Amino acid sequence: MSNDRITIPIGPQHPALKEPLSFMLTVEGEQVVDSALRLGYVHRGLERICQRRSYVQNVHVVERVCGICSHVHSSTYCQAVETLLELEVPPRGLYLRALLCELERIHSHVLWLGVLAEILGFTTIFMYTWQDREIVLDIMEELSGGRVAHAANIVGGVSIDVDEDQIEDIQERLDNLEPQLARFVDLVHNERSFQARTRGVGLLPTGVARGHCAVGPTARGSGIDVDVRRDTPYGIYDQLSFSVITVDDGDVWARAAVRAEETMESLDLCRQLLKGMPKGSIKTRAPRRVAAGEVVSRSEAPRGEVVYYVRSDGSEQPARVKIRTPTLPALSTLPIQLQGVNTADIPVVLAGVDLCIACADR
Amino acid sequence: MRAFLSVLFTLLIFPGFLFLFVCALTFQWIDRKVAARLQGRIGPPWFQPLADFIKLMAKEDILPTGAHKTACALLPMLSLASVLTASLYIPLGGKGVNAFEGDLIVVLFLLSLPALTYFLAGWLSASVYSIIGGNRALLQYFSYEVPFLMVLTGPAVLSGSWSITEIVAWQSRAMWMVLVQPLGFILAIIGLIGKLKRNPLDIPKAKSEIGAGPLTEFSGRKLALWYLMLYMKTVVGIFLLVNLFLGGSGLGLGLPGAVGFALKSLFILLILSVVSVLYARLRIDQLANFGWRVLAPLALAQMLMVVWIGVI
Repeated sequence: MSNDRITIPIGPQHPALKEPLSFMLTVEGEQVVDSALRLGYVHRGLERICQRRSYVQNVHVVERVCGICSHVHSSTYCQAVETLLELEVPPRGLYLRALLCELERIHSHVLWLGVLAEILGFTTIFMYTWQDREIVLDIMEELSGGRVAHAANIVGGVSIDVDEDQIEDIQERLDNLEPQLARFVDLVHNERSFQARTRGVGLLPTGVARGHCAVGPTARGSGIDVDVRRDTPYGIYDQLSFSVITVDDGDVWARAAVRAEETMESLDLCRQLLKGMPKGSIKTRAPRRVAAGEVVSRSEAPRGEVVYYVRSDGSEQPARVKIRTPTLPALSTLPIQLQGVNTADIPVVLAGVDLCIACADR
Repeated sequence: MRAFLSVLFTLLIFPGFLFLFVCALTFQWIDRKVAARLQGRIGPPWFQPLADFIKLMAKEDILPTGAHKTACALLPMLSLASVLTASLYIPLGGKGVNAFEGDLIVVLFLLSLPALTYFLAGWLSASVYSIIGGNRALLQYFSYEVPFLMVLTGPAVLSGSWSITEIVAWQSRAMWMVLVQPLGFILAIIGLIGKLKRNPLDIPKAKSEIGAGPLTEFSGRKLALWYLMLYMKTVVGIFLLVNLFLGGSGLGLGLPGAVGFALKSLFILLILSVVSVLYARLRIDQLANFGWRVLAPLALAQMLMVVWIGVI
C-alpha cells in the first residue's frame, strides 16, 4: 500500500495554519500515518536580547514574546524581578494587573474559537466571535491605550490607573459582552454541525496528556485538573473565587468547551476585580540594580502555565532569562493527536491546541 | 438571414450567454450580500462580482510544471459549455429554446458533466491539494447525485412527462409540485447545495484544509471561467428547481410571469444563502454517511409516494 502514500507539506506558509511551523504529513488515503514537525521559523533571540538590556527595558522585550497574551508575559517577568528585589507591590497594582490578565484570557479564548470555527468552514461564528472580541479590545485600549501590547506593567506595579467613571464604563461593557459569551458556550454545547466536526477528533487521553506535561486548556480538556491560579496562587488570585473547568473527553470539542466556559469564569473574575479594587497607589519604586540570586515565576496564561526563570548576578542586567511557554508541551502532544486522523481534521487538530509558535520560538 | 440573427440572439443574448451572465453576477452579489448581513458584515457593492471577474480575466495565467496544459485549458471551457447548453433546455416562462420530450434527462446529464471536469481538473493540475480535492469531489458526487436524481424524477413521474415544459404545464393545471412533494423539494435543495459545492457541502474546495481543492493551481482566465461556470450553474440549478417544484413562472397573483419567476428564483437563492451561514462544513465521510443513510432512503420513500399518488 506504500504507493498510496502522499506526503502533504503543511506550513510554514499555509492557508490553514496561521502559525509559522512546518509539518510533513504522510497520508494514506484520507488517513494520517506519520507526521514530522519542524520549528524555529520565527526565532527572534528574545532571551539573548534580555541579557543585554536592563531589567526595566526587558519588561517591554518580554511583552513582545506573544502577540495575544503579551500582558501575562510581562506580568510574570515583573513578578520574578519583584521577588528578587523583595518588593511589595501595592494591592491596587496587583488588581489592575490581574484585570488585564483576565481580559486577555477572554480575548484569547474568543479569538481562538473564531479561528477554529473558520477552519471548520463556519464563517458565521468566526465573524461573530471576532466582532465580540472587539468589546474586550476596546476595554483594554481604554485601560492602557493599547489593544494588544499594553505596556501596562513596570517592575514594582503598573503604570495605568482607572477612575470611578472608567470602572462603571467597563462594567457596562462587560454586561454587553456577557450574553455574547453565553451564546458561544451554548454554541459549543448545542450546535450539531460544530460537534460533528470536533467530537472524537485529536484525542489525547488523560494519561498521555499527563505524560507530556500538558498545561492549560489542553490538559483541562483531557480531564487534568491544573490551574496555576488556584494551585500556587500568585498576585491576588488567592483572594478571588473562581472554578477550574475540566472536561474529560480529551478531544478538540472538550478543549473548546473548556475555553468557552473559562471566558465566563474570567468575566466573573473581571467583575470581582473591578468591584473589590482597593484604593491606594499602583506602584512602588524599584531600584535599578538587583541583588544576585535566581527565581522561578509562574502564572496561568490563556494557553496554560508560563514559566520565567530569571538569574541575577548583581548588575543592572539579568544574567539569564529563560521563558517556557505553554505551547511547548502542546507541540509535543501533536504527533499523538494527529495519528490516524482524517486529512480533513488536520487543521482542526492543529487549531485545537491553540498553538502560538511565536511564543514557542521566541 | 432573419432566422440566423434570431438564433444568434437566442444563443448570445436572451436566454443565452448574456442573460445568464447577468443573472450569475446578480445572484452572486445577492448571495454574498445576504450572507454578509447575516454574519454582521456590510457585504460587497453591487458591481463587485463583475469587478472580480474582470480582475481575474486580466491576471497572469500560469500552471505548474507537470500539469496537462491542453486539458487544463479545455476543462473549464467544456464545463462552461455544458452549463450554457443546459440553460437552453430550461423554460423561462413559456418554452425552453431547445425544448423536446425528454429534455429533463439532458439537463440533468449536462449539469453532471462539470462534476467530472472538476475532478479531472484536480487530477491533471499536478498538486497534492488538487488531487485530494478531486478525490473528494468524486466522492461527494456519488453521495448527493443519486438522491438528487431520484427526487427530480418525482415531478416527471407525477406529470407523466420527461419534458420540463410539460411538467410546468401540469403544475399550472393541478398544483405546484412542492405542495405534493415537500420532502422531494427539500432533498432537491440539499442535492443542489452538494452539486454547487456550497457551504456546508464545500468539502472538495475546503479552503482551510486543501487550499482551493481542484482549482488550487488555476489562475487568471481559466479560474475566471471556472468561477463563471459555477455561478451560472447556480442560476441554472435554481431555474430548474423553480420549474420542477415551484410551478415555473405562474404566481397566480396577476403579476407578469417574469416577476413571478424572478421572485421564486430569489426565494431558492435565499434558502441557499441562509443555509450557507448556518452550519460548519461536513467531513467527506460524514457526507457519504448522510447521503446514503439519510438522503437516499428518504428519496426512495419520496419516489414510492409519488408512484402511490400516481396510482390513485
